[in-house]
Amino acid sequence: MLLDLPVLKKGTFYFIKENDTDLILEDKTKRGLEIKETSVDEKLNVKADKGMIHDMDGIGHWVPIRWYFSKDLFDLSAVIIHADAMDEKYTKLRELTCPDDDD
Amino acid sequence: MSYAHPEVLVDTEWVLQNPPNENRKLVEVDYDPVNGYQKGHISGASLIWWKRDINDPTTRDIIGKKEFEALMAKNGITADTEVILYGDFNNWFAAFVFWVFKIYGHENLKIMNGGRKKWELEGKDYTTDEPQFSSITYVAQPPDEGLRAYLFDVSRGIDNEDTVMVDVRSPAEFTGQITAPPEYPMEHAQRGGHIPKANNIPWATAVNDADGTFKAVDELKQNYEPKGVTPDKDVICYCRIGERSSHSWFVLKYLLGYPKVRNYDGSWTEWGNMIGNPVEK
Repeated sequence: MLLDLPVLKKGTFYFIKENDTDLILEDKTKRGLEIKETSVDEKLNVKADKGMIHDMDGIGHWVPIRWYFSKDLFDLSAVIIHADAMDEKYTKLRELTCPDDDD
Repeated sequence: MSYAHPEVLVDTEWVLQNPPNENRKLVEVDYDPVNGYQKGHISGASLIWWKRDINDPTTRDIIGKKEFEALMAKNGITADTEVILYGDFNNWFAAFVFWVFKIYGHENLKIMNGGRKKWELEGKDYTTDEPQFSSITYVAQPPDEGLRAYLFDVSRGIDNEDTVMVDVRSPAEFTGQITAPPEYPMEHAQRGGHIPKANNIPWATAVNDADGTFKAVDELKQNYEPKGVTPDKDVICYCRIGERSSHSWFVLKYLLGYPKVRNYDGSWTEWGNMIGNPVEK
């Protein structure tokens, strides 16, 4: 079970876990989303579990829920680069929609 | 025993054998036309995109009479045309559009039982060709507000023993465990739970799981009557945005023949967001 896997690192919006073969980057904002397919995410070029989110117009968009980085090809520092980029993207989005009063 | 209004249903085989013509139009109603109609649809079917075509673009409301008339004209439909609706998401949005057609008084209207789900299970063909229609005029009736429940109708209905509320959402939504599944991040409410005294009878209990077709009359009666949803009551159906509840509205009004059934299209995204509204969990 993915839930039981050890957490190597966690950010505001992600977990990095590992199994025997992969380092697994999970997007916390996609928690609970049904996995509809597992295929290669063309942006990161690794296998990913994907679900579908419907926008305001009802149109469904495929979104990665978690990415599987093969341990043969990636080490933790490489995965952290992607994880930090994701954290930064979501942090900027949150600041855009819910800015701190101090700003 | 047959449905109270069997004339409102056709099956997939009937649609295959009776293609659209000058007097009969086939309309696919989609929530997600990019992953539905545009990838393939039944030959001769036009598209009604639920969000773009049947909702007011600015105010949260269904389209007005003039916009409805223009939509009909665009789809080659006159007031006398036989219209067969079907769609994605288990015909939820086709049922919503059926409800809007009835609000504006269209008489000759049917739903293809099972929608896209059944058509695809049967391996029937799709096309990407889109029909073209010549200019036409449609004259709608004034809106029949007796089919629609508004917030104040629901508020009043809570204390009225002759009114029964049917919450057709999933048990997890009814109990307030979730306000919307993660697939629909735009459809949340500030509070989870249900309208006081509402009965939880999920829409899915009215259909056969295998192919999405409606259950038989006896099964449907057994689904509603033991919970006090009986023909002598003023029935109000609701869900999250009013589309699943229009599916149950269709079942109660046309398959079981209940005389007074209304769809509360404001549903939980209205009720659960209003300050001061009572909520049960």
